[in-house]
Amino acid sequence: IGLLRNNRRNILTMLSLTIKEVSLALRKGSVSPTELCKKCLNRIKKTQHLNAFITVTDELALKQAQEAETRLLQGIIITCIDEFTYITTRRISKQHVPPGYYTPPFNATVVQKLLDQGAVLVGKTNMDEFAMGAGSTDGAFGPVRNPWGYAAPYRENTGLNPDSDWVVTGGSSGGSAASVASLTSYLALGSDTGGSTRNPGSLCGVVSLKPTYGLLSRHGLIPLVNSMDVPGIITRSVGDAALVLDVLQGVDVKDSTTIPAPSLSTQLPEDFDVRNLCVGIPNEYHAPGLSEETVEQWSRVADMFERAGARVEQVSLPHTQYSIVCYHVLCCAEVASNMARFDGLEYGHRSEIDSSTETMYATSRHEGFNDVVRGRILSGNYFLLKQNYEHYFLKAQKVRRLIADDFKHVFNSGVDVLLTPTTLADAARYSDFTQEDNRTRSQQDDVFTQSVNMAGLPAVSVPTALSRRGLPIGLQLIAPALQDKRLLSVAQWIEQRVGFPSISEFEQPSDQWQKTKKKHTV
Amino acid sequence: HNGRWGLKAVAPRLWNALPDSPQQLVGVVGLEIHAQIRSNTKLFSASAVRFSSPPNSLVSFFDASLPGTLPVLNKRCVEAAVMTGLALNCTINQKSLFDRKHYFYADLPAGYQITQQRRPIAVDGVLNYSLMGGKKKKNQVVRKSARITQIQLEQDSGKSLHDDLQSQTLIDLNRAGVGLMELVMEPDMSCGEEAAAAVRELQLILQALGTCEGNMSEGQLRVDANVSVHRPGQPFGVRAEVKNINSARNLARAIDYEIQRQIQVLESGGTVQNETRAYDSKTGGTVPMRDKEGLQDYR
Repeated sequence: IGLLRNNRRNILTMLSLTIKEVSLALRKGSVSPTELCKKCLNRIKKTQHLNAFITVTDELALKQAQEAETRLLQGIIITCIDEFTYITTRRISKQHVPPGYYTPPFNATVVQKLLDQGAVLVGKTNMDEFAMGAGSTDGAFGPVRNPWGYAAPYRENTGLNPDSDWVVTGGSSGGSAASVASLTSYLALGSDTGGSTRNPGSLCGVVSLKPTYGLLSRHGLIPLVNSMDVPGIITRSVGDAALVLDVLQGVDVKDSTTIPAPSLSTQLPEDFDVRNLCVGIPNEYHAPGLSEETVEQWSRVADMFERAGARVEQVSLPHTQYSIVCYHVLCCAEVASNMARFDGLEYGHRSEIDSSTETMYATSRHEGFNDVVRGRILSGNYFLLKQNYEHYFLKAQKVRRLIADDFKHVFNSGVDVLLTPTTLADAARYSDFTQEDNRTRSQQDDVFTQSVNMAGLPAVSVPTALSRRGLPIGLQLIAPALQDKRLLSVAQWIEQRVGFPSISEFEQPSDQWQKTKKKHTV
Repeated sequence: HNGRWGLKAVAPRLWNALPDSPQQLVGVVGLEIHAQIRSNTKLFSASAVRFSSPPNSLVSFFDASLPGTLPVLNKRCVEAAVMTGLALNCTINQKSLFDRKHYFYADLPAGYQITQQRRPIAVDGVLNYSLMGGKKKKNQVVRKSARITQIQLEQDSGKSLHDDLQSQTLIDLNRAGVGLMELVMEPDMSCGEEAAAAVRELQLILQALGTCEGNMSEGQLRVDANVSVHRPGQPFGVRAEVKNINSARNLARAIDYEIQRQIQVLESGGTVQNETRAYDSKTGGTVPMRDKEGLQDYR
C-alpha cells in the first residue's frame, strides 16, 4: 500500500507540474508523451464526478501523443471548451443529448496552433450553453462541479458532504477551469466575452488570462458577441500563460479582426521591479455583495505592492455603474444576430415537425436552445427593432465608448495596472447558486469582468488564497491594450508572493475518501 | 399645348391649375438593380464564382454559415464597386460600413444578409442615358438622366428549387455569398421605354468596366422596378414592386403594363396596394407574388 501511495503521489506530482516543468520532464525522457497522455486519461476517468468533459477524445489523443514531434508543446495535455471547433467523431455518451448534434469539419485556429506545436488534446470541456452563464450550470450536458469542493480544505472547514453540497465552477468556461484545476490537463482554452474565462478561473484557483481583443484569432470560436469575444487561456502558472500567449497570438487571415502581436516573444522577467509601478484601485469596484474575504485579499495584495515600493492609488472609473446594463443590451443584440444561423437546416438539431419551413425553424430553435439563450435572443431582437434601435442599441454603443474612455483616462494618468477582485466571493454551493436565475447571476457575477471586454483590454485572474470555506479566491489585474506581457509580469510578481497551494497537496486517493466518508456516517 | 415647350410640359402645376385641363395619371418608375460582381471568388469567402456548376459544389464553410467561420472581404469586389461608382459619377465613401439584414429563409444560411444599408460605398450618382424621341418620327436622340441614390456591396443568396411533386424544397448554395452591387435609383423615370434604355446603358458601362457581365437572362443583372402613378404636381402614389424580369424588353413591357393596371385601378375607384408583383412573360402582365406578410423589420 505504501508503494501504491507513492506511485499515486508521483503521478499526481507529475500532473500538477507547470507546462515548463513537464516539458522538461518530457524532453529528458522521464516520461513519454504516451505515458503522460494515459495518466491524464486515467485521471479524467477518476474525476468523472466533476462532469468537466463533454467529449473525451482518447483515441485521437493517444495517436497525437505517439506522433508528437519535438516541438515547443510536445506532449502537453490540453483541453478546450466545446465552443471551439475541433474535428472529432463525436461519441455521444449522454442519453439526453438531442440527435443531429453538430460535429465541426474544421479546427479552430487557436486549437490548430497548439496541435501544430505538438500538444495533445484529450477532450472538449463542459460549459454553459453557447457560453451564456456565470456558473457552467446551464448546459445540455449538466452542470460542472468545482474540484476544490472535493478537496480536504472544503470538507474539513465546512464539514459538508461534497456529493450533496458540491460547489459550482463559475462560468461559462467552467469545464476548462475545472480540468486544469483537477489536474487533467496543463492548459485549457476558454472563451471570454464578459468574464467567462476569468470567473471560473478565479473560483477554481487557476490562472486565467483574457488577452487584448484581436490578439488571438476567433476563427473557429463559435461567436457570442463578435465585438467582445476572445479565446481565454487557463493554466496553473502565469509563466505558462505567457508561453501559450506567444504560441497563439498573431494575425490570422481567416479572422479580419486580428492584429499583429506587439512584440517578439519574450520571457517574463523572473524578478519584476515594482518600484516603478503604479497600481490603480478603482473606487467603483467596491460592489454590493463583495465578500469580506475578497476585500481582505484585495487589501493584502495592495499592501504587498506598497511595501515593495510600488505606488498604489485610488482611481475612478465613473461610468462603471452603467456598464453591466450596457453590456447586456449589446450582448443580447449580437447574440440575437449570431444565433440566427441555427435554423436546423444545414446542421445541428432539426425538429421532426415540418408542416412548413417557418414551423420547422420555430420548433427546431425552441427545442435546440435552452431558455437562457432564447431569452437573450428575444431581448436582442427587441433592442434591434427599428423603433428601439436608437434608444437601446445605439445608446449602448455610446455608453460603451464612455466606459472604454474611462480606462483610457486612468491609464493615461500614469497608472500601469488596475487591481480589482475577479468575483464577488468564493464559489457558491450549487444549491445556493441556483436560487437565482441565470440572468440575475450573470448580472451579479460579471460586475468586475465585463467592462474589460467592452474596452477590449487584457486582464488576468490570479489565485491568491483559500477562503475560510477552503475555496479559492482570485484577484484581477487589468492593463492597457496590447500590454499583455507587462500584465503577466505583474501577475507573476503576485503569484510568487501569495503562496497559493496546489490541489495535489490535499489530494486523497478516492478510496481513502470513501473510508473517511464511512467514518463520518458512523 | 402638348408640345415639348408647351405650358403643360414646362409648368405642369400651372397647367393643372388651369380650369378644365385634363388631369392625366402618369407613371413614376424607380429601379433597384442587383449586379453580380465579376470576380473569381465570393464577397466574403474563397469559394469560386461560376455559373451552372453542380449544386452545392462551390460552397465553403463560411457560405454554409458553419459556426465559427468569419467573413474575409474580397478586395476585387471593393475595387469593382469603386470603379462602378466613379463611372456613375458617385461620391465614394472612403469609409463605408457593413450591416446585417436579418430574415429567415432557406436560401440564407446565416439568417442574415451582409449588406451596406446605412453607409454604402458610393452615393449620389447619375446614370446618363439616351433614347429615341421626338414629336412624330422619334428620330431624335433625347438625353435623359436618372439619379443613383447609392451603390452598396452585398451578398447574393442561394437558390431554392421547389419540388412540388415530393413536397420538398432543394437548396443550392453555390450562389450564396457571391458579391453583388446593389444600385438604388431615384424614381426619375416615367415609362418602360426609359427604364429599358437606362438599363441597356448601364449594361454597356458595366461590361466596359469589366465589373459585371450584365447578362439579365443569366441572372448577372437583376432589375426590379418600383412603379407608381400620380398626377403631375401631386405627391407620388402607392408603389408596387415588379420582379422576375429577365430582359430589358420585358422590363419595358412589365412597367408599361403595371402603369396601365394602376391607372385602371384608380380610375375605377380602387386603391393601389403596396405589394410585390411578378412579371409573367406568357401573358405580358404582372401578378401578385407570395405576400411578404406585412412590414418586415430587418433589425
